[in-house]
Amino acid sequence: MTLQIQNLGRRVGKQWIVRHLNLQVDNSECVALVGPSGCGKSSTLRLIAGLDSVSEGEIILDQANVTHAPATQRAVGMVFQSYALLPHLSVKANLDLGLRVRGVRASERQQRIQAILDLVQLQDRSEVLPAQLSGGQRQRVALARALLRDPDVYLLDEPMSNLDAQLREELRPELRRLVLDRHKPVIYVTHDQHEAMAIADRIAVLHSGRIQQVATPADLYHRPETLFIAKFIGRPQINCFKPKDGAICAVRPESLFFANEGLPCKLISREWLGSSQLLYLDSPHGSLRLSCSTTMEIPETVHVSWHSSDEHHFDATTGRRLT
Amino acid sequence: MIAFLLLPALLLLLVVFVGPLFRYAWLSFHADSVVTGLIAIPNGGANWLRLVQDQRFWQDLGQTLRFSGVSVGLELILALMIALLLDQRWRGRDVVRTLTLIPWALPTTVMALGWRWIFNTPYGPIDHFTRMIGIGSLNILGDPHFTWMATVWADVWKTTPFAALILLAGLQTIPVDLYEAVRLEGGNAMVCLRRITLPLLRPYILLALLFRLAQAFGVFDLIQVLTGGGPASSTESVALYAYWNALRFLDFGYSATIIMASFILISLICVVAWILLQIIIPTHSKSQAVVEP
Amino acid sequence: MNRRFLVGLLLLWSLGPLLWQLYTSFCSDQALTQPFASIDQRWTLIHYRNVLTANPPFWRYLVNSLLVGLSSTLLCLVLALPAAYALNRIPCQLSIMSRLALVGAALFPYVLLFLGLLEFARGLNLGNHLLALSFPYAALSQPLAILLLNNAFNDLPPELEDAAKLEGLTLFQRFRWILIPLISPATASTAILVFLFSWNEYPIALTWISDSSKLTLPVAMARIAGSSIYSVPYGAYAAATVLGSIPLVLLVLIFQKPIVSGLTSGAVKG
Repeated sequence: MTLQIQNLGRRVGKQWIVRHLNLQVDNSECVALVGPSGCGKSSTLRLIAGLDSVSEGEIILDQANVTHAPATQRAVGMVFQSYALLPHLSVKANLDLGLRVRGVRASERQQRIQAILDLVQLQDRSEVLPAQLSGGQRQRVALARALLRDPDVYLLDEPMSNLDAQLREELRPELRRLVLDRHKPVIYVTHDQHEAMAIADRIAVLHSGRIQQVATPADLYHRPETLFIAKFIGRPQINCFKPKDGAICAVRPESLFFANEGLPCKLISREWLGSSQLLYLDSPHGSLRLSCSTTMEIPETVHVSWHSSDEHHFDATTGRRLT
Repeated sequence: MIAFLLLPALLLLLVVFVGPLFRYAWLSFHADSVVTGLIAIPNGGANWLRLVQDQRFWQDLGQTLRFSGVSVGLELILALMIALLLDQRWRGRDVVRTLTLIPWALPTTVMALGWRWIFNTPYGPIDHFTRMIGIGSLNILGDPHFTWMATVWADVWKTTPFAALILLAGLQTIPVDLYEAVRLEGGNAMVCLRRITLPLLRPYILLALLFRLAQAFGVFDLIQVLTGGGPASSTESVALYAYWNALRFLDFGYSATIIMASFILISLICVVAWILLQIIIPTHSKSQAVVEP
Repeated sequence: MNRRFLVGLLLLWSLGPLLWQLYTSFCSDQALTQPFASIDQRWTLIHYRNVLTANPPFWRYLVNSLLVGLSSTLLCLVLALPAAYALNRIPCQLSIMSRLALVGAALFPYVLLFLGLLEFARGLNLGNHLLALSFPYAALSQPLAILLLNNAFNDLPPELEDAAKLEGLTLFQRFRWILIPLISPATASTAILVFLFSWNEYPIALTWISDSSKLTLPVAMARIAGSSIYSVPYGAYAAATVLGSIPLVLLVLIFQKPIVSGLTSGAVKG
């Protein structure tokens, strides 16, 4: 089972919401779509799900062209940011509805719902209304509903963004286990790059409706294709020097180190991050961010250097990676 | 699919709202009465010419406008007072709000006859009252000076709850912080009313005004039952005149002409009110009609 | 001014005329002419007996109005629900235009339509058919119903329906399982308002129905008044007013919340 997206685009009026999208997601592969808000992440998911109409390009699911198939006829399992549970139905009835309209027999429905509730560990909550569940429980019900559908592709639209930070971290491995066990392609939309890196095999970065790069988290971090990605991926943010000869040089904060010779800098402020510390420095080339071990004592003025192999160069006008 | 969902409602709306208007426009250029054997015969602009020269129509129009203006004006003032009272917190407020809604819910004809009994001379309580305080019997429903006021009274009684409800809904959208801010600056209740309540309530006031103006212009049930248009046609409304022409004089062509003229007039009034509304209300505040069935 | 005094005044203003009818309905004919004098034979139930044993008996009109009210409400909702839903699914510009047109139609003093509708009834031979009144009633309350229900559909999170689509629910199934249950409060408000309109409507019932056993309540009441202003049987009439008001007063007392929310939802949202 693979999902293939070819030159996909959606236009509303004269404006392209997304355009020229190319992406292939294989069996058991999780691709995260990341990007700033309004970049077209959710729109892309809605196109794949068939909730919005495609203006150009094709969506191919397991060799079948589903570009213009209605949502009701696509085998798509989606988890919405708001979970979209029906407030007037119990957990069990929420899960039952889809099975029933697909004509599954009552005894089998009962059995499958029980199994899925066991899987997401909500056996004892089957009769309550969604409003009586915690955020994490609701998310698991929404996930259970998608799993019950046994779809050809899973689409997760910011499934964790309504949960608090700690719960998110706890649920991540759980989510990965539940979804990737199904051996289906998974697309995971998030605005949180840490989450994307933790959960996805590959990450697609969207910007203004275009995919800028699709790569493994490590590649994305170490070889960003555009200046936008270099700035978007990685916290604390990458240092960019002023453009010189039409090129911008950028260096990650952790690639900077203290040296006897180098850029003379003045310490402005420092942030304690636990395992490391972030220094804000004032250099002749502008302000710099440097992260280093917390054990280090920092004098008022320091000299900072880096290896030339850690430099990233981008075209100052197009933002494309040079070399 | 979407068209399939919309079509039945659209069709019904076209038949009931648009259909009659086209029919009136057509009929108004035809003679269609007992004289013609109830067969429509084109008569050019004769109906319209007759309308222009019809003293009774212009008198009715003036009476209708007087009725609409006075009753809508009184109603809004009263509704604002009631809304302000019901917006405050006190025990039993919800019960009172429900009870004040009752006049609005009752059929107009039912209470119109009730009012006829209350205004009755000499047995009604109003007549007893005026005699008791020494003014003497006013003969309210027999004296054209007073009869129209009685119709206004009954109309205000019936429709004020609706306007009060709209204004109350508007009042409840005003954040309490605003009042507290003015109070902190040392403003009193009057300042609050003039600087906060009235400006922020304006869209609701104009909404209620527009809706009630249109409905009052079409007043029919109340007048027909309370006064029958009398005495001496002094309370007759244009809608009632159109009704007499169709059902009593069986002159459908002329009745259609009166209705068409009324329709054009009320549309003009509403357009003027709408333009005023656009000028007065800042562009950010949108409001949408609420309608009394 | 004292708030208690103002509330008392408000209640007197709102309920006074009704209470006067209630008082009148229990007064003997002799007491009617002297409402404030003391008379031996003041209280009587004769008016109620007369009204209920008249031909046709008064409850007949209540039943007629109830039938018309229920059938109009049903017809109105059946047409307005799909239309209100579809109004969100057509291009934005068109949707705004339609809503404006609906507001205009709702503002329109419908009494001006009586002549066209009368001709319509004659042409299709609908006169004196009680349930035929449901057509104009459903149509006249259609603008309000569509606007209110459309507001309710607008307030639903769109993901609920999207999720159901992905579960494979057809449009009809989504209506049945999701949309209808979720907008039921708005539907209830709308239904009550439409029912009230149909129950109270006068000019169209007046022109469509002449058979005295098929009159609706408002027309029957007006008929009791007869042609002369001076010889109205006020005692009987007051009894009829009281009987005719009881269902509505109960309706308002029981359904106060949905009525208020229905009337104000359009005003507050925009």
